[in-house]
Amino acid sequence: MSVLSALMRHSAGRIGLVIIVIFTIAAILGLLGLTPHDPLAQDRLARLQPPGGAYLMGTDLFGRDILSRLMVGIGQSFVVALLSVGLATLVGTILGLTAAWFGGLWDGVAMRTMDVLLAFPAILLALLIVAILEAGMTTSIIAIAVVYTPIFTRVARGPALSLKTRSFVDAARTFGSSRLYILSRHLLGNLVAPLTVQVTLALAWALLTEAALSFLGLGTQPPNPSLGLMLSDSRNLMEMAPWMLIFPAAVIMLAVLGFNLLGDALRDIADPKSRRALT
Amino acid sequence: MQYFLRRLAVFPLVMLGVSVFVFVAIRLVPGDAITAMLGTEGGMLTPAQREALAAYFGLDQNWAVQYLRWLGGLLTGDLGISVTYGQPVLDIILERFPLTLQLALMSMVVALAIGLPAGVFAATRAERPSDLIVRIFAMVGQSMPNFVVALLAIYILSVGFGVLPTMGRFIPFTQDPLGNLAQMILPAIALGTAFAAAVTRISRAAMLEILSEDYVRTARSQGFSQSYVIWRHALPNALIPVLTLSGVEFGYLLGGAVIVEQIFALPGLGRVVLDAILQRDYALVQGVVLFIAFNFLLVNLLVDLAYAAIDPRIRYGGRK
Amino acid sequence: MTTMKTVTGAVALALSTAMVAPATAQTLNVAWSQDATGLDPHTQPGFATIRLLELMYEPLVRLDANLELQPAVAQSWEFSEDGTSLTFMLDPEAMFHDGTPVTSADVQASFERILDEATGAISRANYTSIVGIETPDEHTVVFRLDGPDAPILNGMASVNAAIVPASAIEAGTLDTEVVGSGPFTLTDRTPNANATLTTFDDWHGGDVAYDTIEISVLPDETAILAALRAGQADFALINDPLVATLVPQTDGLTLNSAPTLSYYVLQLNAAREPMDSLPLRQAISCAIDRQDILDAALLGEGDITGPLTSPAYRTDPSGLFCYEQDQDRARELLAEAGYADGFSATVIAATGEPPTASAIAQVIQSQLGEVGIELEIEMQELSVYIDRWLAADFDMAVALNGGRVDPYTMYNRYWTRDGNLQGVANYIDDTLDRLMIEGRAETDEAARREIFAEFESHLAEMAPWVWLFTGNTYTAQVDGVSGFESSPTGTLFGLVDVTLAE
Repeated sequence: MSVLSALMRHSAGRIGLVIIVIFTIAAILGLLGLTPHDPLAQDRLARLQPPGGAYLMGTDLFGRDILSRLMVGIGQSFVVALLSVGLATLVGTILGLTAAWFGGLWDGVAMRTMDVLLAFPAILLALLIVAILEAGMTTSIIAIAVVYTPIFTRVARGPALSLKTRSFVDAARTFGSSRLYILSRHLLGNLVAPLTVQVTLALAWALLTEAALSFLGLGTQPPNPSLGLMLSDSRNLMEMAPWMLIFPAAVIMLAVLGFNLLGDALRDIADPKSRRALT
Repeated sequence: MQYFLRRLAVFPLVMLGVSVFVFVAIRLVPGDAITAMLGTEGGMLTPAQREALAAYFGLDQNWAVQYLRWLGGLLTGDLGISVTYGQPVLDIILERFPLTLQLALMSMVVALAIGLPAGVFAATRAERPSDLIVRIFAMVGQSMPNFVVALLAIYILSVGFGVLPTMGRFIPFTQDPLGNLAQMILPAIALGTAFAAAVTRISRAAMLEILSEDYVRTARSQGFSQSYVIWRHALPNALIPVLTLSGVEFGYLLGGAVIVEQIFALPGLGRVVLDAILQRDYALVQGVVLFIAFNFLLVNLLVDLAYAAIDPRIRYGGRK
Repeated sequence: MTTMKTVTGAVALALSTAMVAPATAQTLNVAWSQDATGLDPHTQPGFATIRLLELMYEPLVRLDANLELQPAVAQSWEFSEDGTSLTFMLDPEAMFHDGTPVTSADVQASFERILDEATGAISRANYTSIVGIETPDEHTVVFRLDGPDAPILNGMASVNAAIVPASAIEAGTLDTEVVGSGPFTLTDRTPNANATLTTFDDWHGGDVAYDTIEISVLPDETAILAALRAGQADFALINDPLVATLVPQTDGLTLNSAPTLSYYVLQLNAAREPMDSLPLRQAISCAIDRQDILDAALLGEGDITGPLTSPAYRTDPSGLFCYEQDQDRARELLAEAGYADGFSATVIAATGEPPTASAIAQVIQSQLGEVGIELEIEMQELSVYIDRWLAADFDMAVALNGGRVDPYTMYNRYWTRDGNLQGVANYIDDTLDRLMIEGRAETDEAARREIFAEFESHLAEMAPWVWLFTGNTYTAQVDGVSGFESSPTGTLFGLVDVTLAE
């Protein structure tokens, strides 16, 4: 709770939190099907309706409600972002901790593998993985997770290495605690702050990567709505129906902004020294 | 020193890892070059005809043979022949790379030209309304995906100003500098926006930190003018993190910008890679990805070296 | 946003000066979105490849915009009385780009190469009735046939049957060099980026009014439109009907369109449950509202069609089985098939190929949903899609299949027992097989029309596929470009008649 109240006192954090809460509510409503219209229902007589009237944000080429599609789209994007970052955090942390703990060959293999993954620009790596696994939501989650795993591996390994050498771990060791206990109790405890910051920022990147993949037709598949796909669909129609471009563009931007603000605020709270500089 | 030697030793190892990774990855992609090339009419071929085509493209060997053959070629600068282009992969890369390089440079110019003054300006007016406005723009800018900027820019240009973005046959700079710049400026802005925002934030932060340091305060108290202090003392020091950021970002941009190139119909490395993956052009995917990874690693290494040279205080361990 | 605005302002200024790019009167700047995948005219099937090669290679005969046969390398031709031999008189003026005349030996060598199975020639199946090729003199070629083969002439009117130099076949240079006898020579080409064609002054077909064609490959249809508007392209091929509808709205641009022979179709895999049930397939056919799909996915740009799309054979489709949507009948038929509560299936479609594939699939999904059929759409990259299509690994597939002038040439691959794509069609019955064979041998036009009308009506009733509509082929040009005539085959050969204003 103290983090939450700290966030509320932090001006950027407050804005970020508000954005994310609003979007999360919209996303949950979208995923629960509580949208103004059925996001898949085609009202083909009401094609390309401008915003207003029965369709608050207008309709697309098939007469589908943009607002409802956006709500579901945010939901899908959030689900992909959360699951992929969650997976990356889990795998990355385990890899990082074990690399630091066991050292030697395992450390070398794990970290060089991460180096290889980091040598690819994110979208390129994601593209390759999607091409192999066939486009879809699960594939997007896996692809984005692979892209961001190396970051978490490094985030986890650094502090773990320095903690490992610190005396209290040695002390715990001599008192006969099990290795697992030491790992979970001391190391993880000290990793929560840097990981939280990294997770929040990674959520913003994951949203972007998901949007980019679906923009290229390699993410969420139609007719399911996704922010990237909606933007891509708007390209040929932006002159006839600018609302098809503007609303999804604004939503992506705001969602990323929300996570960025939140991430920055969390970093300030975790590390007050940088506060003045970065907010 | 030992750190650098280790970095240098790891370099070829990572490149070898990249080569194995991309070699295997592209072969795991379902579909093959022949299907991609022949389309549904490929169904008119007899199995014998298909085999003849596979042999022609060297796709009939097992993976190990193919990999070793490729690796052997790499060492002599031979990246193989592209199935779709019928040209050596290296030639294709060298033909497309100037565009990607130019786009990366232009994006960096856009980013620095906007970001640096904005950051310095904001730092000198810390916590005042003008600082706040710059910070808001920086935050928003950093949250704009480049393809959203690209689409919005096209929309604003065509609807708001009645002017059309220049798209069409790519005009090399050497042929028609003005035409080339007109064609490249929008993509550079699309790629430079988030980059500019990041530069703004980091230069503001660095300036603030330095402005609070003792020697700057001393200079001020000795009666040097504000602008003198900023330009002579603070800025050179604040440039270090900006350079680091720019270097890393530049390394990314050298990898090509898949979506922005697609939107603006630019034949850069990003488009080559995307087309090559879609067309199952194994040699081309391998060659281009390896090239991109090499550039990226090299730029990062150089940035690290430069950083260490400028600022000997830094300690190595993690990496951004 | 401020940075954005000031920057765009500056760009606007920079662009407005740069945009008055001087287009010399002798160069035609052409843009299209897909590039050729190779240069060998006999083995390259892609539409894009054919569009390019048609400008440089010539077959013996070609089809004009009305789908009438016209001389190309051959000046004239005739069948023997019994229909078992076909004689071509070559144009003595015809010349390859390297200056050597086109002779009967080149024709013989070209067709021998096409007929050789090892070549992998794409349209080989159209010429398998050829049992011998004779060359009585330099300008005469006689094809001996194993029996009357009415469609063979139309089948030869394709760049896939181009006459190439015998020397190039021998040297094995067909996939790297272009030495044709057509109106343009290939001077320069960067795959997936651009190509330069130069007018061949010694072309036997006449004079071309300009000197060069500069082709740009712009992978994005919106970019093509932008290039036209900015005056960077004079002429463009457009695939996306949505983009095509924007062309006439711009001053200074003209849209040419012609109905195509190729057809949009929902292929049902009749070898799979439950699509093996006739009433179930018919139910799907009845549940579809073709006009609605056409309006939504192609903005109405097309014509509802039965299986036959060639003007000479096409009939009013409204008499075909269930061409009016009838949901009640669809539900009855579903019940009859034992699926009163509907069923679920997947439909595959290729991403961007055609550009409307995804939209068509989505409307079909919505329409079938109304009668209780749950469709899941699987959008796939083209090469994956093609692999699955060839292996008939799908429940249903949205496809844009190529058409031919002659119904036999168009459909024998699918709807005869020996058809090489029978495995994709996955449905055959005696009636279809018999009608196809009769149609091939019949030389009387009226009798053929009757045979194929029966074929069409039977096919629509058996509903192995649900034929939807034909689209249009689109080209766009800027003011000052005139003389181009669109053809249902989609060919750009009409570019030879184009003139450019100063």
